[in-house]
Amino acid sequence: MQVEPLSLFELNKLIRQTLDLNMEPSYWVVAEIGELRLNQKGHCYMELVEKEEDTIRAKIRANIWSYTYRNLSGWFESITHQTLHPGIKILANVTVNFHELYGLSLTVKDIDPNFTLGERARKKQEVIRQLQSEGVFTMNKELLLPVAPQRIAVISSPTAAGLGDFMDQLENNKENFRFEVKLFQAMMQGDEAMNSIIEAMHRVHNEIEDFDVLVIIRGGGAKVDLDCFDTYDLAAHVAQFPLPVITGIGHERDETITDLVAHTKMKTPTAVAAFLISGLKQFEEKIDALYTKAWHHTHNFLNHQNSLLDHLQNQLKHLSKRFLAEKESELDRLGHSLKLLSKSIVSQHKIRLTNLTNQIKSKPFVILQNHLNKIFFLEKSVQLLDPQEVLKRGYTITTIDGKPPDSIENIGKDMVMVTKSRKKTIKSKIQHIKIN
Amino acid sequence: MAEKKLIYKKALERLEEIVHKIENDEPEVDELSQLVKEASTLVKKCKEKLKTTEKELDGALDDI
Repeated sequence: MQVEPLSLFELNKLIRQTLDLNMEPSYWVVAEIGELRLNQKGHCYMELVEKEEDTIRAKIRANIWSYTYRNLSGWFESITHQTLHPGIKILANVTVNFHELYGLSLTVKDIDPNFTLGERARKKQEVIRQLQSEGVFTMNKELLLPVAPQRIAVISSPTAAGLGDFMDQLENNKENFRFEVKLFQAMMQGDEAMNSIIEAMHRVHNEIEDFDVLVIIRGGGAKVDLDCFDTYDLAAHVAQFPLPVITGIGHERDETITDLVAHTKMKTPTAVAAFLISGLKQFEEKIDALYTKAWHHTHNFLNHQNSLLDHLQNQLKHLSKRFLAEKESELDRLGHSLKLLSKSIVSQHKIRLTNLTNQIKSKPFVILQNHLNKIFFLEKSVQLLDPQEVLKRGYTITTIDGKPPDSIENIGKDMVMVTKSRKKTIKSKIQHIKIN
Repeated sequence: MAEKKLIYKKALERLEEIVHKIENDEPEVDELSQLVKEASTLVKKCKEKLKTTEKELDGALDDI
C-alpha cells in the first residue's frame, strides 16, 4: 500500500505524539554524567552515558533548567560533599522530551544524592578491595615513623590557605622546634589533581634521602570535590610510598582512600602541624626524662664514689699516719742505735788508741832497759875477764915466748917460761914436760 | 804515712804494725826512736780524727 510521504516535521511530530502517548510522565534512571556544562543563564547541559567496561553502550542529552539546577546542585553537594560533575553516577528523575527541531533529550526533575553516595561508597570499597588484594593497602602504615621527623616534604598548592596555616604553625611553634620544610607544588583539586599529585610524589622520591616524612595537605574552605583522593592510582602511590605519609586533606566527611592508606591521617593541615610538633615534644620529653634519669644515676653514682673516696681517703690518712709514726719510731730507734753504736765505735777506737799508746809508751823503755842490762852484764863479764882481776884473785899467767903454753906444740927442755903474779914476774927453766 | 789527709784505717794499721814490731820483733835500737816518733805522731792524728768524728757525730745526731 502506497502511503503519502510525510514531511520531516510531520514525522517528528508523530514521534513526539507517540512518545507523549506511550511514555510515563517521568522515569527514575541510573546514568553516568559524561559531560556537563553550564550556560550563562544557569541552565545545565549534560550528556548522560552508560558504560560497559570502557565502551559506551547508551548516550543521551539531558538538561537541568537553571531554577531546578540551583536547588538540586545545592542539595546534592550538601549530601555528597561533591559537585555534579562528569564521571559520577546519578539516579535522576527525568522526563523524556522530543522536540521537532532539537530532537530527543531528557529533562532532569530530581536527583537522588543518596544513590551517588552509595555508588561512591561501592566504588570506594572496590578500590579498597583491589588495594588489599594486591597487598599494598597497609604498606605505608607498616613504615616506622622516624623518632623525631623534622625534614618534611609537603605536597600542596602554594595558594592554599591550609598551607599557610601549616607553615605558620610549624615555624612559630612554642617549643621553638626547627623543621626543614620543602614544598612540592601540585594542583589539589580539579581533573588534573590526581596526576599532578602523583607527579609531585615522583619529585619527592627523587630526593627522598632529604626527608623523614611526606605530608599531603589541602586547604579547607570550599567544599570542592575530593574524588582524586579516592582514586586507585593516587591511593596506590601513597600506600607504596617509601616515606611515611601524613594526610591533612581538610574535610569533615568520611575518610578518603588516600587517608585510609596513609601512615597517619589528620583532618586538617593545622592538625598535621600539631601532630608533628607533638611528636617532637614527646621526643623531647622522652629525652628530658632520660636525661633526668641519667643525671640521677650519675649523681647517685658520683655521690657513692665520693663517699667511697672519702672513706678511702680517711683510711689512707689513718694508715699513712700510723705508718709514718711507726717509721718515725723506727728511725728514732735507729738514730738512737746509731748514736750508741757510733759513740761506742769511737770509744772503742779511743781505747784501742790508748792501749796502743800505752804499749808505745812503755815497751821501748823496757827494750832499752833490756839492752842496758845486757851491756851491764857484758861489762861485768869483761871486767871479770881482765887478767889483772885474775892476778888479783891469786892466779898467775904463764907464757912461753909470750904465748900461752897450750898454743906451743913443741916445748923443749931448758926453754924459759915466764910466770906473772900480781906482784912478781918469775922466769924459770923447763925441766920436765907431761902431757895431761 | 798520713801526709795530707789522714786515712784512719791505714794509720791504725801502721800503728798496729809498729806496736807488733816493738812487742815481738825486738827492733833494732837504731830504729826504735824513729818508730816511736812515727807511732806517737800517728796516735796524735788518730786521736784528732776521733775527736772531730765525735764532734761531727754529735752535731749530726743532735738533730735526730
